[in-house]
Amino acid sequence: CKKSFIDLNPLDTPSPDTYYQTDAQLKLAMAGAYVPMRDLLVNDYFTSEMRSDNSHYQPIPNNRGTANVYRENVSDWNNDANNDYVNAVYYHCYNTIARCNTIIDRIPLANAASTAVKASVDGQAKFLRAWNYFKLVRLFGGVPLSLHEVKKAEDAYLPRATVDQVYTQIVKDANDAISELLPPAKFPQTGEATKGSATMLLADIDVTLKKYAEAETLLNTLPAMGYGLNTNYTDAFLTTNKNSKESLFEIQYLEGTAVGTQPSNFFYQFFPRTTTTTVVTGAPATNTTSTGGWNSPSFDLISTYETGDKRLDATIGIAEGAYDASYYLVISANKSVVGYTPAAGKVGVPYVKKYLHPPFTTTNNTNDNWPIYRYSEALLLLAEAQNEQGKSPLTALNAVRARAFGDALHNITATDQATLRDIILHERRVELAFENKRFHDLQRSSKGLAIMQAYAAKAKTTYTFLPASAFDIQPYKFLFPIPKPEIDLNPSQLVQNPGYAF
Amino acid sequence: VIKGKVTDDKDEGIPGVSILVKGTSIGAATDVNGNYSIKASTGAVLVFKSVGYATREITIENQTTINVKLKPLVTGLEEVTVSYGKQRAREITGSASQINAEGLSDMPVVQFTQQLQGKVPGVDIALSSGQPGRGIAVRIRGAASFATGYQPLYVIDGLPVTGSVNNINPDEIESFTVLKDASATSLYGSRAANGVVLITTKHAKAGESKIEFSSNVGIQKIDRGTVPKIMNGQQWALFMQEHYDDAVKYEGLNPAGTGYPDVYKGDVSRYGEGTNWFNLTTQSAPIQSYTLNVQSAREKSSSTVILGYQAQDGVVINTGTKLLSLRVNQELSIANNKVKIGFNIAPSYRLDHNNRLTSDGVGGFYERVFESSPILPAYNADGTYAIGAYSPGMVAYINPVAQLKESRDDYITTRILGNGYLNYQFLPGLSLKTNIGIDKGAETRNNFTPQVANNSVPTLPNLSTGISSSVDNYSYTAEANLNYEKTFFTDHHIEALVGYSAQKFDSKSNSISGTGYPTDDIGYLTAASSITAGSSSASQYSLLSAIGRLNYNYKGKYLLQGSVRRDGSSRFGENQKYGYFPAVSAGWIISDESFMAKFKKIDFLKIRASYGITGNNDFGNYTAITQLGKANYYLNGAVVPGEAINVLGNSDLQWERNKQFDLGFELGLFNNRVSFNYDYYHKLSDNLILGRPLPRSSGFTTIQYNVGQLEFWGHEFTVNTINTKGVLKWNTNLNIAIQRNLVKSLISPGYLRRNNTVTSDYYRNQEGHHLGEFYGFVFLGLYKDAADLANSAKYQVTAAAPNGSSDIGTIKMKDLNGDGVIDDVNDRTFIGDPTPSFTFGLTNTFAYKNWDMSISMSGQVGGKILAASKWAYLTNMDGSRVPLAAALDHWRSEADPGSGIYPRTKTGTTAIGRSVNSQWIEDGSYLTAKNISVGYNFKLKNNWALKNLRVYASVQQAFIITGYSGSNPEIGLSGLDATAGIGIDENAYPVPRTFSVGLTTTFK
Repeated sequence: CKKSFIDLNPLDTPSPDTYYQTDAQLKLAMAGAYVPMRDLLVNDYFTSEMRSDNSHYQPIPNNRGTANVYRENVSDWNNDANNDYVNAVYYHCYNTIARCNTIIDRIPLANAASTAVKASVDGQAKFLRAWNYFKLVRLFGGVPLSLHEVKKAEDAYLPRATVDQVYTQIVKDANDAISELLPPAKFPQTGEATKGSATMLLADIDVTLKKYAEAETLLNTLPAMGYGLNTNYTDAFLTTNKNSKESLFEIQYLEGTAVGTQPSNFFYQFFPRTTTTTVVTGAPATNTTSTGGWNSPSFDLISTYETGDKRLDATIGIAEGAYDASYYLVISANKSVVGYTPAAGKVGVPYVKKYLHPPFTTTNNTNDNWPIYRYSEALLLLAEAQNEQGKSPLTALNAVRARAFGDALHNITATDQATLRDIILHERRVELAFENKRFHDLQRSSKGLAIMQAYAAKAKTTYTFLPASAFDIQPYKFLFPIPKPEIDLNPSQLVQNPGYAF
Repeated sequence: VIKGKVTDDKDEGIPGVSILVKGTSIGAATDVNGNYSIKASTGAVLVFKSVGYATREITIENQTTINVKLKPLVTGLEEVTVSYGKQRAREITGSASQINAEGLSDMPVVQFTQQLQGKVPGVDIALSSGQPGRGIAVRIRGAASFATGYQPLYVIDGLPVTGSVNNINPDEIESFTVLKDASATSLYGSRAANGVVLITTKHAKAGESKIEFSSNVGIQKIDRGTVPKIMNGQQWALFMQEHYDDAVKYEGLNPAGTGYPDVYKGDVSRYGEGTNWFNLTTQSAPIQSYTLNVQSAREKSSSTVILGYQAQDGVVINTGTKLLSLRVNQELSIANNKVKIGFNIAPSYRLDHNNRLTSDGVGGFYERVFESSPILPAYNADGTYAIGAYSPGMVAYINPVAQLKESRDDYITTRILGNGYLNYQFLPGLSLKTNIGIDKGAETRNNFTPQVANNSVPTLPNLSTGISSSVDNYSYTAEANLNYEKTFFTDHHIEALVGYSAQKFDSKSNSISGTGYPTDDIGYLTAASSITAGSSSASQYSLLSAIGRLNYNYKGKYLLQGSVRRDGSSRFGENQKYGYFPAVSAGWIISDESFMAKFKKIDFLKIRASYGITGNNDFGNYTAITQLGKANYYLNGAVVPGEAINVLGNSDLQWERNKQFDLGFELGLFNNRVSFNYDYYHKLSDNLILGRPLPRSSGFTTIQYNVGQLEFWGHEFTVNTINTKGVLKWNTNLNIAIQRNLVKSLISPGYLRRNNTVTSDYYRNQEGHHLGEFYGFVFLGLYKDAADLANSAKYQVTAAAPNGSSDIGTIKMKDLNGDGVIDDVNDRTFIGDPTPSFTFGLTNTFAYKNWDMSISMSGQVGGKILAASKWAYLTNMDGSRVPLAAALDHWRSEADPGSGIYPRTKTGTTAIGRSVNSQWIEDGSYLTAKNISVGYNFKLKNNWALKNLRVYASVQQAFIITGYSGSNPEIGLSGLDATAGIGIDENAYPVPRTFSVGLTTTFK
């Protein structure tokens, strides 16, 4: 017998050696690269939303398993480098990056593919890679800069790059994506990243890097691509209005149980633990596992909405009822948060209503996409860029507010730069609540530390069940620690962020 | 016609003696009682030959009856099955132990490996779970390997088996040979590193035509003494009452508010015993087996047909297994015995019912039985299931009675093992052997979880789910080899073997899942409202090999052997397709030397040594290859079947190399009434394959990699004694194995942890340590008072929280790095070693007149057990699940500190009690009486067809003597896999005690 007898390859999957060649293969590989974003999103709300003053968690003192304790720690600012949920954010960002690296490396070798598809896929991959590094550099600082397909073990050991090096790469990728991608061909869009997505990303980076003029230029190109605000704030989140003109980029989901469905379950993760959700969701569902009970709107967020702001009712609802001894909320009524006071003997537990779009057919199974960038954020970034340059931000800012209030009566008229800076920060908070923006806003705001310290003082008196070590707000904690298992594997090249014990 | 009886020196008949009329082809054989008859006339010479006896020739004078006594030869003339052939025991230069299955048949077990427990030193067999027909693991000489298998290769009638050996009826087996060292195993090359078990099935022997029927019926019971003693109704209510009273006292809980459930208030004696979930979910269960064995053998042909049926119900309700098996072994000799042709075929059908549900481990069904609230009923007043089994304060559990009774998980396995062989003797001494075998398997699974078994709340929001899947596989092996045997110049004897072998395995599988059945009555996917997943896949491997072996001996007392196998394997990396596996060995039978003649007491003395290299290729079929996997996404209103690389290949991946040295001696004393065997071995497992953890910034978690070395060494002792002869015959087999392992080198960072979670990061495999050493905090008791708290390190301390999450009455751990803070990284260390000091087996057999009795025991001394489930779950002070009754005696106040073992229930302080710590470590020494059986043989004379009748009674798992507080000291997370957590008790299906009676009848 010959060597061929012992040369066996899988029969049920294509071979990576011959893949990434045709237009169709490149497109399918690109589709595969979006998938880890979903894994990221079920962890990132801990690091980018619950870490802030926007949200908290439901008590569960009767189950001190690490699945609960680790999650609480992120919100309580007392996590260490062994925290599975912080670490998952790091891991999943890199999962997307690795898939993009492979695509970007192999596109020049795709001899059977068209120039147009190569450019489109390269642009999407670079957009995704840049977005994920932007997430990483903000949460963890200078991270290893992996830019090529890992083909053998040795390729996997990289040192931490500097923050500047990471940003240089992000900007480069975002610029490539802008030049390679086309504006949306139609609305509703396909869900793929577009020139608009990449433009928005680079503007976001530029504002973070305080390159306000560049950001302003970029943001001003968006209307010509067809983007604009929906009529109502709630329209942006409707499951019947996905990938609308307000959407610059969102992660796609499809509810259902049949083969091929890809449901989301954000609503349930953000809903109090309860034995039955029927009062709120219509269809019965349980939410008793540790999947639920997270990202509950904080008292501080609720109180920060101005009177008349329709976004409060659109964003937050109240599940009224009483906790049983297992800390499951027995829900008796679904109430509006506006002007809410609990009925006698009841508690009102706020929940995130933004992603509540019944009717639901199956437990823990929703149709909601996750917004990464919306046009209203583009307007608020534009306002910020203009204000920081000493220009008037009012046109952009008031466009967002006019929709939020449904009238022009609440338009801002202030002209003082510092005042406007606070107003824009606040506007971002309420406009973009539960879209994983708030912690990043606090990171780049000069007032972030003070805001969190003030919130922590109130939170400690408001929330029972807090461990003594909760809400010890320190400047170093605005960066998360590099995952301890990563450092253990590569101790000579990875140095922990300052402040962390290990 | 000459008739007669052939007997041994004890006047007992010898069956199967071949009798030949010299110079002719006329022959006969003795029957089971030693009787024979043969046609021969006066003056002819009869030759009486039998293995193990001196051949005798008798010339016929005028007699018609010739009774012959044969003299037994010295030890070791019996032939033993070895790799690719048979060899006289005395001439074997490697470590091979043959066990006759006959003495094991009284055991009421459905897995043959259970019969071997404690029989061979260095062969560890653990029953880590009592799931019917499952849960057993076999490990030879401590074999361990990170990513690859550790269990031995099974070879049935010369053919390596792929996959499970569960479908084999123990009653089909004639003998086992356990091959342990490299010289014994190396002809199996890249699959031999974990040792080899050769199984020989029953073949009729000349003169042994018979019909035998045996049956065994038993009842299995859980030994109540080994069941965790958890709180009953009133104890649980009291525990919770104390929990809430303490919260009122220390945490300001409003005693009148909803935070203090009414069910726990007042006199708790109203709950009494409450619901005993254990009683509702366990039972005494029958086990039975029936075997019909029809054997006939003539001069030139033999036939064996064995039909078997076994059924074992589980001691956990609604679980069990059934096996129907058939084996037909046929053999025919033609052309003056120069050509021998044989066919063996063994179809079998197994039905596994619910015995593969996740009954074991954390969150397994069996654990849920203990965690459910005893103050709640299993059934509503109307007889329907109560939905949920949690009282206030607890985590929402599903009613375990509904879960166990209503879940359905059936696996149907059919298997056909078959082979055909042709041996042709060209010339005296030169023969060709060919063997073609097939191993055909198929398994279908039907799984259904109805809504009552899927929900903890009465609104039943979780839909029913079902799976239908099947696997179909085959493997064929084709082998041909040439044997040459020759004696030169009287004293030089050689035996040579060269051969070629090709094997291919192919598997196809598919799986469909569905959900949303309209009712709980029909659980087939046709009824499902939605198909949630569907897949089909294929897998293959192949092996192409050449073998060679040369045996040489001088005067039968100086023995040499050399062998080599070359394997080409589809599993190896692109650059490492072929491997060579050589071995050499030598032996010296000292007792044959003339200078030994003066040691009259020594009958036999042999020393032997071997060295060789074997491999381990059991690491998956495409592991070395980079692979794409499905990554579906949804774009533009349609599902897009995306692709992404999900396995990182390693084109340099090699098989593991096992370099083993063995030194042994065999000693027979006092007319062979005492025999003694000793082996020392030293193994170095090199190029160990491991899913090497990669920095996750690569986008991958692991790459299969050759990462390090493990070292194993050990001493194995066996003593067989004939203690008394005569009316009372008493034989003893004692074996002891002292075995050690060491992680010699491991790629950076030099250790592997189990996971990242302090509650289940049980062990660490680290350079310079034994495998699986437990890792955790060092328990120092509870903080006694304010001074103790102030002067001790505390958990999770920060500047803002100087006491962290510690308080008086909570668990105190040791501050290992002396920084004044207990944290998860710097204050954990190695806290125990599961490696036993030694393991042993002891078998005593007695025969007195018509009575016989045997007692098989096995055990270990030393070796620690980590009682993970007991402490992390059954002593959970959170109040989320029902704890052990002993935890009632917990800390209430400085004046009432309880036993000092169980901490207080204060909110936010209980997490550390669930982290691995030295309190969880217990001594794992044990002695188990695996089997005690007593039999009586009826001597039947002149009866019609019945020739023999034996009845017996047998107790399996008769008793365990151990200090370990858990259920089963043989427990492990993954069988006996030392790299994946041995000696860790996460709870498992209980191993029952079985009382059985059986009978064996032989018909003429």
